[in-house]
Amino acid sequence: MGGFFSSIFSSLFGTREMRILILGLDGAGKTTILYRLQVGEVVTTIPTIGFNVETVTYKNLKFQVWDLGGQTSIRPYWRCYYSNTDAVIYVVDSCDRDRIGISKSELVAMLEEEELRKAILVVFANKQDMEQAMTPSEMANSLGLPALKDRKWQIFKTSATKGTGLDEAMEWLVETLKSRQ
Amino acid sequence: MFAKLKKKIAEETAITQRPGGGTRIARSVSKESVASMGADSGDDFASDGSSSREDLSSQLLRRNEQIRKLEARLSDYAEQVRNLQKIKEKLEIALEKHQDSSMRKFQEQNETFQANRAKMAEGLALALARKDQEWSEKVDQLEKEKSFLTAQLQEMKNQSLNLFQRRDEMDELEEFQQQELSKVKHMLLKKEESLEKMEQELEARTRELSHTQEELRTSSQRSSDLSQKLEELQRHYSTLEEQRDHVTASKMGAENKLAALEQKEQELQACIQQLSIDLQKVTAETQEKEKLITHLQEKVTSLERRLEQNLSGEEYVQELLKEKTVAEQNLEDTRQQLLAARSSQAKAIDVLETKVKDLEQSLRASEEKLKESAGVAAAREAQIQELAAADKESSRAQQQALALQQQCAEHIRVLEAQLAALEQARAADQAAAEHKARELEQENTALKQNKNECELSLQHHQLELKKLKEEWSQREIVSVAMAQALEEVRKQREELQQQAAHLTALVDEKELSVREKAEALLQKEQEILQLKKGHDAALLHTHQLQAELEALRSRRAEEPEAAAVREGLLRLPGRGQGLALSDGEPRAASRAVQDPAFRLPAAEGIPNGEVGATDLGRLQEEKQDLEQQLLEKNKTIKQMQQRMLELRKTLQKELKIKPDSELFEVREKPGPEMPNMAPSITNNADLSDAREINFEYLKHVVLKFMSCRESEAFHLIKAVSVLLNFSQEEENMLKETLEYKMSWFGSKPAPKGSIRPSISNPRTPWS
Repeated sequence: MGGFFSSIFSSLFGTREMRILILGLDGAGKTTILYRLQVGEVVTTIPTIGFNVETVTYKNLKFQVWDLGGQTSIRPYWRCYYSNTDAVIYVVDSCDRDRIGISKSELVAMLEEEELRKAILVVFANKQDMEQAMTPSEMANSLGLPALKDRKWQIFKTSATKGTGLDEAMEWLVETLKSRQ
Repeated sequence: MFAKLKKKIAEETAITQRPGGGTRIARSVSKESVASMGADSGDDFASDGSSSREDLSSQLLRRNEQIRKLEARLSDYAEQVRNLQKIKEKLEIALEKHQDSSMRKFQEQNETFQANRAKMAEGLALALARKDQEWSEKVDQLEKEKSFLTAQLQEMKNQSLNLFQRRDEMDELEEFQQQELSKVKHMLLKKEESLEKMEQELEARTRELSHTQEELRTSSQRSSDLSQKLEELQRHYSTLEEQRDHVTASKMGAENKLAALEQKEQELQACIQQLSIDLQKVTAETQEKEKLITHLQEKVTSLERRLEQNLSGEEYVQELLKEKTVAEQNLEDTRQQLLAARSSQAKAIDVLETKVKDLEQSLRASEEKLKESAGVAAAREAQIQELAAADKESSRAQQQALALQQQCAEHIRVLEAQLAALEQARAADQAAAEHKARELEQENTALKQNKNECELSLQHHQLELKKLKEEWSQREIVSVAMAQALEEVRKQREELQQQAAHLTALVDEKELSVREKAEALLQKEQEILQLKKGHDAALLHTHQLQAELEALRSRRAEEPEAAAVREGLLRLPGRGQGLALSDGEPRAASRAVQDPAFRLPAAEGIPNGEVGATDLGRLQEEKQDLEQQLLEKNKTIKQMQQRMLELRKTLQKELKIKPDSELFEVREKPGPEMPNMAPSITNNADLSDAREINFEYLKHVVLKFMSCRESEAFHLIKAVSVLLNFSQEEENMLKETLEYKMSWFGSKPAPKGSIRPSISNPRTPWS
C-alpha cells in the first residue's frame, strides 16, 4: 500500500524519491550508516550478503537509500543497481590503510560507469572516532579525489557509531541535489 | 578425420533440432551414433522414426559405391602382395649370398687374427721379459742409491741435530748474555739513580752555598757600611779632637787669662791690702788726729775752763781762741783732706771692685765656658767612648763576618771536598761501570765471536746442507729422471698393454660383429619365417574372406527379408537406442569386413594368386586403419559420455539446490545470448566462477525482489536478470509486468511466446 500511496504522491506532486547508493568495501560501516540515517540509532549489524534498502526522509526530501553489500565476491553486482542513481555515498574505513588502494580502485571503476555519470559523490571517511584514523585530506589524496573531473564530490569525516558528521554530509547532499534540480 | 566427425556432429545436431521435440536421450543417442563412424548411418534409421525406404535405397547405392572402392583397393593390395613376394625372394637369395661371403670372410679374418695375435703375444712376452730384467736391474741400482741416500740423509740429520744443539747452546748463551746485560743495565740504572741523588744533594749544597754567599755578601755589605760608618766616626773623631784641641787651647787661653786675672786679682788684693793698710794708717792718723782733736778739744775744753778761769787772760784766750780757730781750720782741712782721701779711696775701691766684679764675671763666664767646654768635652768623650764602643762593635761584627766568612769558606771547602769526593766516587762508579761495560762488551764481543763462529759453523753447515741438498736434488733429479724413465717404461708397457687390450678388444669386437652378424642372420631367417607365416596367414585370410564372401552373398540374398524385418523393428516405439548402440559396433565390424568382401569377387577374377595376396595385405591394413578409427571414435564417445555425465551431475546438484528448474535453466543460458549486456560480459567469468559462493546473494536478492515494493523491485530487475542470466526479452517482460503493476491503468502485457523461455528458446547443447 505504501508503494501505492508513494506512487500517487509522486504522480501528483511530481517529486520522486531520490535514489542514493551507499557503497564501499566490506566492514566500512555502510549498514550502520544507513540505519543511523533512518532510525537515528546504532544497530548491531552482520555482514550484508545482498543489500538493504530503506526510505529515509531528510528535510522533507525522501531518499531511497540502497546499502549494497561490499564483500569482494558480490562487489561485481553493484553495477546492477547503478541506473537512475542520484547520488553515491562512498564509505571508507579511515583506519583500514591496507585496503585503501582496493577502495580507490573500486571507486574509480564505479565512477567510470556511464550510468553514474550524473551521480553526486559523497565520500564518508568513516570511523573517525578511532585512533590512527586518516584525515579527510589524506584520504581524499589516497582515493585520488582531487583528480576527478566533471563530478560534484565532497568528503566528510564521519563516525556512524557516534553519529558525528552525518548531518553535515546529508545537509550538503540535500543542498547539492536541490540545486541540481 | 576429426573435422569430418565434427561436421557429422553438426549434422546430427541439426537433425535432432529439426523436429523440435528432441529429448535429451535422443540427443545422446545421436551422439553415440555419430561416434560409430560415418560408414554406419543405419542407426539413423533406428533413431529416426521418420526414415523411409528412399533413404534405404540411397544408402544402398552409397554402399555399392563403397564396395566398388574397396574392390579397387583390394586389387591394389593384391599387387602389393605380389611385389612383396618378389622382394622376399630376392632378399632370400641376397641373404644366402651374403651369409656365405660373410662366413668365408669371417673365417679368414679369424685365422689371420689368431695368427697375428699369437705373434704379437710372443713378441710382447719377449719384450716384456727383457723390459722386466732391465727394470729389475734399474730398480736394484735405484735401491742401492736409495740406501746410500738414506745413509747420507741420516748423516745430514745428525749434522742438523748437532746444528740444532749448537743453536740451542747459542740461544742459551744469548740468553745469559741478555741476562747479564740486563743486570749491568740494572746496576747502571741504580748508579745513575744514586748519581742523580748525589747531584741533587750537590745542587742542594750549591744552593746552600749560594745562600751563604749571599749572606756573606750582605754581611760584607754590612761590614763595608760599618767601616764607612767607622770612617765617618773617625773623621768625626778627628774633628772632635781638633775641636778638643781647640777647646783645650781656648782653655789654656782661659787659664792663662785666669792666671792673669788671678795675678790682677792678687795685684788688686795687694792694692786692696795697701789700700786697707793705707786705710788703717789713715784710720790710725784719723784716730791720732781724733786723739789730737780729742786732746786739742780737751786742751780747748781745758783752755775754755782756763778761759772761763782766766777771763783776764782774754788776750791770752783771744790768742788761744785764735790758735783754736787756726787749729779747727787745720782740722777741717785735714778732715777734708781725709774725706777727699776717703772718697778717692772709695772711688778707687769702687773701680777696683767693679774691676773685680768684671773679672769675676769674666771668670765666671770663663768658668761657665770652661764648664761648657768641659760638658762638651765630656759629651765628646762620651761620644768618643760610644764611638769606641761602636768601633768595638764594628770590629766585633767584622770579626763575626770574618768568622762567618771563615765558616762559609770552611763549609765551601767541606762541600767542595764532598763534591770532589762525590765526583771521585762518580768517576769511580763510572770507571767501574765502564769497566763492567767494557767487560760486558768484551763478553759480548766474545759471545758475538762465539755467535759468529756458531753462525760461521752454521753457515758452513748450511752450506754443507745446501751442498747435500743440491746433491739430494741432483739425486732426486736423477731419481726423478729414473722415475720418469720408469714411468716411460711403464707407459710403454701400458701402451703395449693397451695395444694388447685394443687388439683383444678388436678381437672381441670382431667376435661381437660376427655374433651380431650371426644374430642378424638369425633375425633375417626369423623374418623370413615370419614372412612365410604372414604369407600363410594371408592365404588363410583370403580363404576365410572367400568363405565370408560366400556367406555374405548368401546373406545378401536374404537381405531384402532382413530389411523388412528391420523396418518392423524400427516401427516399434519401445526400441531404445540402447539396442541400436549394441547393434552398432558389431554391425560396423561386419560392414568393415563386408566392404572388402564386396570387392573380392573382382580380385578373384585376377588370374595371379599373388595379386590377391597383396590385396589381402592391403585389405588387412585398411581393416586395421578402420579398427583404429573405430577405437578413436569409441574413445571420443567415451569422453563425450563422461562430459555428459559431469554436466548431468552439476545439473542435478543445482537442481537439488534450487528446485525451481525453470529459473535454473534460464540461469544456465550462456552470456552470448544477451548481446545488450555488453558491459557485464567482462564480469561474466567472475559471476560464473563465484556462482556457488553467490548463491546466498542470489537468494537474498530474489527474496527482496519478491518481498519489496514495486518501485524498489523495479530497480532490482537488472540485478535479478544478471544473477539469473535473463535474456533481454525476459528482462523487458519483467519490467513491463512491474510497470503494469505499478501503474493504475494500462493493460497487462500479453504473455508472449517467450513466456517459457526455457522451452521456446533454441539453445546450444551443454558445453
